[in-house]
Amino acid sequence: MGSNMAECHPVGFRWVMEAKKRGAKIIHVDPRFTRTSAMASLHVPIRPGSDIAFLGGLIRYVIENERYFAEYVRAFTNAATLIDEGFRDTEDLDGLFQGWNEEEGRYDLSTWQYEGVVGVVPAAGHKELVAEPGAGRSRPAARKAIAAATDPTLQHPRCVFQILRRHFARYTPEMVESICGTPQALFLQVAEALCENSGRERTSAFCYSVGWTQHSVGVQYIRAAAILQLLLGNVGRPGGGILALRGHASIQGSTDIPTLYDLLPGYLPMPHADHARTLDEYVRNNQSGSGWWSEFPKYVVSLLKAWYGDAATKENDFGFAWLPRLTGDHSHFVTVTDMAAGRVKGYFVMGQNPVVGSPHGSLQRKGLRSAEWVVVRDLALTETATFWYEGPEFESGELRPEDVRTEVFFFPAAAHTEKAGSFTNTQRLLQWREAAVAPPGDARSELWFVYHLGRLLKGLYADSNDPRDEGFRALTWSYSTEGPHDEPRAEEVLAEINGWRVADRSPVGSFRELRADGSTAAGCWIYSGVYEDGVNRAARRKPAREQSWVAPEWGWAWPANRRLLYNRASADPTGRPWSERKAYVWWDEAQRRWVGYDTPDFLEDRPPDYRPPPDAEGLATIGGDAPFLMQADGKGWLFAPSGLIDGPLPTHYEPQESPIRNPLYGQQCNPARQVFRRRDNPYHRAFADPRYPCVLTTFRLTEHHTAGGMSRWLSWLAELQPQLFCEVSPELAREAGLRNGGWATVRTARGAIDCRVLVTRRIPALRVGGRAIHQVALPYHWGWVGRVRGDATNDLLSFVADPNVHIMEAKALTCSIEPGRSRDRRRAATTRLAPPLHDAAPASRDLPGVGQRVSQPSQEPGEGVPHG
Amino acid sequence: MAKGFFTDTSICIGCKACEVACKSWNQLPDDGFVFTGNSYDNTGHLGASTWRHVSFVEREAPSGDGISWLLLSDVCKHCRRAACLEACPTGAIVRTGFDSVFIQPDVCNGCGYCVAACPFGVVDRREDDGRAWKCTLCYDRLQDGMEPACAKACPTDSIRFGDLDELQRIARARVEALHAQGVEEARLYGVDQPGTEGLNAFFLLLDEPEVYNLPPDPVAPAKQAAATWASVAAGALCLGALALGAALWGARGGEG
Amino acid sequence: MRSDGRNLAPDRAVLAGEGAQQRVRDPGAAFPVPQRLFDPELPRERGGRPTYHGLPLLKEPVWLPTIAVYFYAGGVSGCSAALAAAIDLAGGAALERLGARVRWLAVAGGIASTAILVHDLGRPTRFLHMLRVFRPTSPMSVGAWLLAGFGGAATAAAILGPRRLPGRLAAWSAGLLGLPLATYTAALVANTAVPVWQESRRALPLLFAASAASGTASLLQLLDLDRREARAVRVLAIGGKAAELVCGRAVEREAGRVERVARPLHRGASGALWKAAKILTAASLALDLAPVRGHGPRRAAGALGTLASLALRFSVFTQGRASARDPRAVSAQQRASGR
Repeated sequence: MGSNMAECHPVGFRWVMEAKKRGAKIIHVDPRFTRTSAMASLHVPIRPGSDIAFLGGLIRYVIENERYFAEYVRAFTNAATLIDEGFRDTEDLDGLFQGWNEEEGRYDLSTWQYEGVVGVVPAAGHKELVAEPGAGRSRPAARKAIAAATDPTLQHPRCVFQILRRHFARYTPEMVESICGTPQALFLQVAEALCENSGRERTSAFCYSVGWTQHSVGVQYIRAAAILQLLLGNVGRPGGGILALRGHASIQGSTDIPTLYDLLPGYLPMPHADHARTLDEYVRNNQSGSGWWSEFPKYVVSLLKAWYGDAATKENDFGFAWLPRLTGDHSHFVTVTDMAAGRVKGYFVMGQNPVVGSPHGSLQRKGLRSAEWVVVRDLALTETATFWYEGPEFESGELRPEDVRTEVFFFPAAAHTEKAGSFTNTQRLLQWREAAVAPPGDARSELWFVYHLGRLLKGLYADSNDPRDEGFRALTWSYSTEGPHDEPRAEEVLAEINGWRVADRSPVGSFRELRADGSTAAGCWIYSGVYEDGVNRAARRKPAREQSWVAPEWGWAWPANRRLLYNRASADPTGRPWSERKAYVWWDEAQRRWVGYDTPDFLEDRPPDYRPPPDAEGLATIGGDAPFLMQADGKGWLFAPSGLIDGPLPTHYEPQESPIRNPLYGQQCNPARQVFRRRDNPYHRAFADPRYPCVLTTFRLTEHHTAGGMSRWLSWLAELQPQLFCEVSPELAREAGLRNGGWATVRTARGAIDCRVLVTRRIPALRVGGRAIHQVALPYHWGWVGRVRGDATNDLLSFVADPNVHIMEAKALTCSIEPGRSRDRRRAATTRLAPPLHDAAPASRDLPGVGQRVSQPSQEPGEGVPHG
Repeated sequence: MAKGFFTDTSICIGCKACEVACKSWNQLPDDGFVFTGNSYDNTGHLGASTWRHVSFVEREAPSGDGISWLLLSDVCKHCRRAACLEACPTGAIVRTGFDSVFIQPDVCNGCGYCVAACPFGVVDRREDDGRAWKCTLCYDRLQDGMEPACAKACPTDSIRFGDLDELQRIARARVEALHAQGVEEARLYGVDQPGTEGLNAFFLLLDEPEVYNLPPDPVAPAKQAAATWASVAAGALCLGALALGAALWGARGGEG
Repeated sequence: MRSDGRNLAPDRAVLAGEGAQQRVRDPGAAFPVPQRLFDPELPRERGGRPTYHGLPLLKEPVWLPTIAVYFYAGGVSGCSAALAAAIDLAGGAALERLGARVRWLAVAGGIASTAILVHDLGRPTRFLHMLRVFRPTSPMSVGAWLLAGFGGAATAAAILGPRRLPGRLAAWSAGLLGLPLATYTAALVANTAVPVWQESRRALPLLFAASAASGTASLLQLLDLDRREARAVRVLAIGGKAAELVCGRAVEREAGRVERVARPLHRGASGALWKAAKILTAASLALDLAPVRGHGPRRAAGALGTLASLALRFSVFTQGRASARDPRAVSAQQRASGR
């Protein structure tokens, strides 16, 4: 679900085919019948943006028919935990959870907590922007989480299990059919298949990708799958779990060693100006008293030692003051709107093409035009590099290159074959690459660029007395270089990421060896061990036939070369595998340790019968029967008391632009979603906008890669899919007058694009809410630079995002379609509004009193007033 | 030892890695950017510069329940009785030690006869180059003990390369397995094919050959040429007789 | 500027791939299927055997239309040489002038044939490669050798003249070689995958033989002929043209065993040319049979007959293209019972 794996991860898909060959049933739930569906045992159509209803329907089915894995649920999840008395569910409040703060435009989480426990720290700490109880304002709950009140019979009305049941009670198969357009019979087939293939002897896996994440409720989609898989007992078991198929090569690495503004390496929270003035404050506000996250101070101190070396001492808080601080939301959309307002002077765009790859191209370009300088690093000129003289605004005559004041620098980048380094892909696997050839001409790797930039900047700041520059001067930046271009040695960076003991620079073997006293340094704690004993384990390539089926000696997976996370859950509370067939990791009484096919995801020597004493601290709080040790209570969270901005349970909300009213709640959309109320970011009506009657979804093709910057220059790929096209059903083609092979114009309030037409039965109209809803599907790989060119699909999208991770809503919106190329070409929203509607106050996306916290410019801290 | 391809379309995901790997390895040019509107097939057919071509057929599922998408990676069949080889007047087309059919580009003079002879429409002549081209079964790779580029790149092993008899054994087992699973339409194409005496590159299909643009019962023309040549002889003889008759009649015509 | 489509930097790449040797001026020109077939306005035929998006299954023959002229020239040339040999054997002094004329006609035809064939090669400078091997399975190989031998013999026959033995031997050789030269081209087209050609493979050689005779005779009819020459030519003409009509019918019947396969004979440009050939041949024959005398009618018959023979060859050529383009012809032919 939420993935077109055969087309977007074809090499990974070979393992799905292998499973199919061995009898596995492959079910593909997708609005379109794709090449994945062609290989699946069953294709199930679903309306884009309705997956939570579908998953909720499955959850309800599992609960009502008692198909959940009872022992697993009781032992390993927080099903029995009681929730605070003040909690009210969306069923009670017409789509809201208890705690919506009108003034602040967000939830107060205090009623979502475990009864009597305040401030449970979620795995990997608080997101600073959440301002949850305990985040920056009060002390964490320490070990109380593990002693939270429970009802082992799962009957108490306030236990998680019953709350869950009530929450999804209305997600019946009929409701699923009505919301998703999926015929009941098909839905029930899926439900039965899932239940039949879960339990002791069998497991089922979910694979998802951006079809789930690119929604304004994206994170809750994942949560819904997590709840389902926990109920079925599939998490931490071979053949089970949830596989996050990442969006492109090494983007997993991009979040591990992050290029994300709100994370430090290893998913440590970025310090916030208000809540992390000192290291102590930061640690207090993010450390958990129980569970593995109690170890967190070791990781942040080791990180600081890696970055600041000898300059980081206990006395100066290990240089914590030198780290930049968040003052608000600095995510992509906010940055772009800040740029458009002239508040961002400079912009580095490296290996990314936001003008095509990110939503709302005209606003992206407006932002770029307002910056003072932009640096683009890429293999060839991309649309982001040529924004100052090419693009729809120039073609229409609205703008001339002379009008653009931005200074643009372009640096050619080395290709992946021309530089050494690692890829970290889906499955958390690090694989090292050597450079096969030197990059041509002036092309250089990112490592070279960043290293030398840093070196030069350090040089410029060398004599500065400004306290603000101390961090720069303290930064360790001593990698040796080689070759005619002084290329930094990538393995040295890997060694630093892995970590070492400061005294003798000997590499650490795992994050267990990291300390909070400054005696260790590690650039990314989850990667510790990749360079154990000075051996680059990411470079290992032992063939499968020479090792066990888990293949631990091919590359290296974080953490600790663990291939399956939470694998303690593959054994029952007594440490015995749930079944021989699904044995993976188990307790060996003779050796008094956990053993198995993989690195156990548990304290090696913690016996299954260990129960933490009342005064236990840190790792001692982890019980022998608590596999989910990143959580404060060691349990899989069916109900999430903290960590999420938009609710402890997934709820079906419609996308920002939908064809129908939300049939379940008055609250149409995710109340916490991130919106941008701007003239240049017009939204359609909440639902059933007559100007934009079709559902629009975007997709990817195997033949091209993301924004097409690499694939549209390669003629062998360009010829496979030369033109932007839309997929429409024969019915829609008839109604709209479209011809297969002809041209069409697809419009939203943000813009219009021209595309060829592919009439196909693979994208049927769905019966939703009693009427037929047509779908239009567009791939987004085209732009105006390259051997083959076309309009940028993402010009149609608006700025609206998931509040937890700021990911755009790209998979479900509405549009209109008509035959022929647009006469009225590319009326960019930045200069003209969408055609107005002349009826009375349009229906709202939110209940009265629900207004989103609109993200504010980064320079101004505090909560916001909506933009004009 | 005869080598060949077994292309199992039941596990083809239509990714076109084979097309790209082939072009990349053989350093072939692209042959134009054309949006055909024919499902995801913007290549059309095999050609002088396209030696692997993935076909896409969207149709009703045979069970009547929903749709299905047939995917096939087409290639030169390297027929055991090759029409192109038998047609080639320069001897450019030869059979290699791997039992594959190979066109020597330094010999071919572009007469184009192979193009008309091929019952699968595989080989073609490039107009700006003048010569005929087709898949070489990666002859250069085979000689170094490597498998062809397409087989190497195929992520699901839909394209399998190896000894022909081994491949046929695997293929027969696969068809049986599919039948047992209820996939009745699965069939082999090119294993028992009298007209070509079997294909070194054969297929497992999930529908009739015409659906995939394959001929149902192709034949190497030379196999049925006896009658043709007999006619040629008869025609020649009759012509000769007529010429003689004309000469005789003309010569006698003085008197009457 | 369009590159060569190979994505290879010339200063860094080693062009060792099998396809690297392809000379590329315009990558798009080699698109495997005629691009006009993707026009959304193009009517799509429904029903019948399944096809792959209506696209052709076979490749159309790549030969230029001049190849049809070659069929004609080869036929005329071969028949001329046969007639020259026949005249040498049985024609006596009365037909000596005619004999000389046809000897030179054979040479001219031979030269024209060679020129057309060489011009039709993708690599004309490599025409001698035709003589690298002799492959009996390939009518083109047979034809190349035939033409080579014939060319030499016919030229020798013309130059050496009929009076002395070497010239006469040359003429007989040319005559002997000329007979299959005139008919083998039918085998050339029939030994392909093209349905209409393959299906009519028994009748086509006879048709070509007949057309060779009628074509030669028609050309000769355009010349000044004395009474005996005219008699000889008339035999050839009537025999050839009558046979052409009969054999044409035979081709229709043979190809028509599968209705779809015979379509090019009845539709389109090829059908029109086929019909024209029949009408012209019949008219020419009628003039030959008519009890009229003099140069005028004879020349008219010759003109009509020449056009007819050319039309016939062009029809066969265009039939091939149309038939190769029709995927349903291939499947219909192969699915018909009893091939």
